[in-house]
Amino acid sequence: MTEPQLLGRIVATERKPNTAHEFHFWTALDAPIGIGTIVRVDGATPVGGVIPLVYGVVVEGFSYTDLQTPIHDVLGHDGTPAGAAIAPTQRTEIRLYTAHVLRQIPEEPLQPVPMGTVSLANDADVATALRMDTYLASGTNTGIPVGLYRTGAMEAPIYLDADFLLGPEAAHLNITGVSGLATKTSAVEWLLASIFTHFPVHKGSVAAVCFNVKGPDLLFLDQPGELGDADRAIYERLGVPARPFERVQYFAPYTAKGFTLNTLRSNEQLADNLTPLTWGLNEVMQFAEVLLNRDDVDAKADALIDFLQERVINREFKDPVLSSSHRVRSFGELEAFFRDLLRGLEERGGEGWRTHHVATIRKVRNRLSNISTRCAGLVTDEGTVSDLPFGSFQDRTVYVVDVASLEEDAQDLIFARIVSKLREHLERRDLGVSHVVVFVDELNKYAPGDGPDTYVRKMLLDISERGRYLGLVLFSAQQFRSQVHRRVVGNSGTALYGRMDMDELATPSYAVLSPSTRTKLATLEKGQLMVRHPHFAQPVFVRFPRPAVMRGRDGAERFPPATEPSLEAAVLRSLRPLDPSLSLDWVKRTITGHEETHVIRARNLTLQHRPENARAFFEAQFRRIVAADPVPAPSAVPIRTVPGDDPYGF
Amino acid sequence: MVTTMAAALSDSTFHVVQRRLAALLPDGASGGVERPLEHLALGSAEPPRLISATVLEGRALLAHPVEGVPVARFAAFLDGTQTSRVVAHIDGVPIVHGTTAAVVRERLERRLRTWRAPRIERRVYAPLALLPAAQRRALQESGLPLVDTAESRPAESLHPFALQDAAIHAVQDDREALERELAEAWCADASGEVLVDGSLTGSEVVATSERAIGMVKSHRTLYAEGAALRAVLQLPQGHRSSVFRVTSPKRTPVASWYLRVRDPAGRDPLWGLVRIEVADNAGGRALPRRANDVSLWVLAEALPLATPDSRWDKMVYGIRDCEEFLRAIQ
Repeated sequence: MTEPQLLGRIVATERKPNTAHEFHFWTALDAPIGIGTIVRVDGATPVGGVIPLVYGVVVEGFSYTDLQTPIHDVLGHDGTPAGAAIAPTQRTEIRLYTAHVLRQIPEEPLQPVPMGTVSLANDADVATALRMDTYLASGTNTGIPVGLYRTGAMEAPIYLDADFLLGPEAAHLNITGVSGLATKTSAVEWLLASIFTHFPVHKGSVAAVCFNVKGPDLLFLDQPGELGDADRAIYERLGVPARPFERVQYFAPYTAKGFTLNTLRSNEQLADNLTPLTWGLNEVMQFAEVLLNRDDVDAKADALIDFLQERVINREFKDPVLSSSHRVRSFGELEAFFRDLLRGLEERGGEGWRTHHVATIRKVRNRLSNISTRCAGLVTDEGTVSDLPFGSFQDRTVYVVDVASLEEDAQDLIFARIVSKLREHLERRDLGVSHVVVFVDELNKYAPGDGPDTYVRKMLLDISERGRYLGLVLFSAQQFRSQVHRRVVGNSGTALYGRMDMDELATPSYAVLSPSTRTKLATLEKGQLMVRHPHFAQPVFVRFPRPAVMRGRDGAERFPPATEPSLEAAVLRSLRPLDPSLSLDWVKRTITGHEETHVIRARNLTLQHRPENARAFFEAQFRRIVAADPVPAPSAVPIRTVPGDDPYGF
Repeated sequence: MVTTMAAALSDSTFHVVQRRLAALLPDGASGGVERPLEHLALGSAEPPRLISATVLEGRALLAHPVEGVPVARFAAFLDGTQTSRVVAHIDGVPIVHGTTAAVVRERLERRLRTWRAPRIERRVYAPLALLPAAQRRALQESGLPLVDTAESRPAESLHPFALQDAAIHAVQDDREALERELAEAWCADASGEVLVDGSLTGSEVVATSERAIGMVKSHRTLYAEGAALRAVLQLPQGHRSSVFRVTSPKRTPVASWYLRVRDPAGRDPLWGLVRIEVADNAGGRALPRRANDVSLWVLAEALPLATPDSRWDKMVYGIRDCEEFLRAIQ
């Protein structure tokens, strides 16, 4: 622990007095201090027998000389800045700083900051100033390192409180910053690594579900990245292993064609932990609202959908209008049901069925059938399901769902269903882990401050307001925090800020920050963050290391996505993890003569059931093709013969 | 009794003394005047006068261009301040509270820092003989640092203003003593030249030291008459007068010359005019060279401007810094 380094002295004037939350001090010109520096004030006069101790963070700085007006300098140099001689004496100059109080000891009575000396805060001071001492005590340590606070040659680790980051006291984290500076994603990757390392055992288990919404950002979390010595030093200082995530599971839907998974992580070398994400009718119908907007589905259509969900889907359903009974388990069977129903109505010339008008039936058929088209690759007609391992989530595991290449509807559906399922399982305490961090980037798209009240936004609001009780924690990111719904960001107990856009900083949300703090935010280097946390009375600036995982761009270059294969090659690639002895010739022989959709269905079923004998299971999905035998044409039979005794020939 | 710095200073500030006098003389003392007497200009200034001086450089006092490039040579600057305020009136006699201070500001890497400790003194000045016996005794037994102004310089009359003038002069003597003390310490212990605000003649040690340069800004007394006076008043910028000797009874003679540090065009004749004093040690041809060199040193101090001081045309920044420093710590 370093001794406090005397920096300056407190000053207060009638025009610029000190208050209980703000104080001023001056320093030597070469003092290692700047915006964001944490300082310690030692009072001079005891209060109640105790020398007051005040901690503050510098939020504003002033520099001026005894020059009364600039014109005096102009006069002094005869108006020629380049030609003027250098003055033998430099004007008296001041460095005057304003700091906001982080903590006062004793905390009562709360008084204006007293006159005293100002010194740099050391490790212990920083812990006290930020109230980290309350949760870093051995035995009850719930500290999660978020970065290093640095000023001059001094540095101190900054910890977040797990109880206030992952619940139950407070929860959620929101990060804001301009795009392209590797701040938002990098910070979340680093913080997840820190959480996985430091989340206390007695608090339970934790996993993360990350939605990869753009490019290859999160697709190589299991691959090592390049780290410099400075980064490694931070990892070491903060006690986090500088290595990629040990357990990562990737999920991606198929492309619309259905041959390969729709992800940039399609290189064969990385196929072992990549799982298809496909859903059938059952999985989708519960979230039909996500895909069917209010313009499409009025009250009448809604009633029919409810009827289908409650009475038709997954049940043996009979009706006089129908030619046979139906058990609807897939979009294909749903389509067959609608076809039969509408045919029956046409035959009977009926206008309605069970209070539902035929037009409503046609409309609902159209909208529902359209889902598998709009979400092709994710939603299958035949009902094949390949899903996240709800119920068997593993501790310290990252589950990445790649939705980057999907249409907006499909993204919304994936997001809504996965988060809802997480919530359901956490409520029942059978997810497999007690805490789940859900990382959503581009939050201003999913939970905008204005615009329609979508299902996804309502769900995000619900998580942010009630998720902490369940262990469902939202880590969200966006470029413009001001464009995100206020209740979502407002419920984020912890907020991180990377380099910010000046326009964004000009919005009212940032009015609480001093002009210098805003300027610092606009010029932050990579790897720097401003952190707000419930324990911190004021935001603090920290430096975090580059994530120890491969950057998305590097990963995409090192593991280029596989080209679109032939159907045979795609099937082989999918099934080989189940049985490495499978060959391309075998696949060709097996699927020869069968329709592409049947082949894909067989593959999906095999992947879904993961049988011990994948070869036999796959083959069993195909009926033997028998050569067609010629069928003799039936002889023509007159419909009715003319009676011989009919004189009129009728 | 004289108090210096530390705790004693806080016991003799204007308001402390005012309260103590009010307690000490509840019936006999009437109110004081908070405004410094130096600001009131009640005739304490000397009358303007011309004195013919002995020219040491040539036969007549002429204008000489200062040749060469200005060089920042001064290692330090010395100045003192004084503030006198009437703290009370006893039987119509003003009791004056005076604060005197002096400091040397040393220049290190183009920045000014305090050399050794600054000197500050606070005293009560009164013509004790003019006070009623009871009040005089109470004042003498109060423990306040007391100076009898009638002792060293009898008042010209009993007019309160004349008594105030006497007090101001006593304060001035004390201020000069502090300046002298610091200047002598510099000449004895420090290296490099110090630019002293005012005359060197009050101390023989200083007036004969090569390390002290005096710069006089006020010209109530001009050491020239006739053609010499015209030469002085018409000095162009960057020119100096011939060197002459300044003598005074009770004071040490010094060599002196006038120097125009700023262009007086459109200004009064004394604008930018200073009088430089150095030890009268150099003789013959060395004296003009010394005058030229020291003039270059002073001209180098033309920047930065000593604004917003109203005397910025004559004052160098280092001297203003001394005044600002003393104002800050008093």
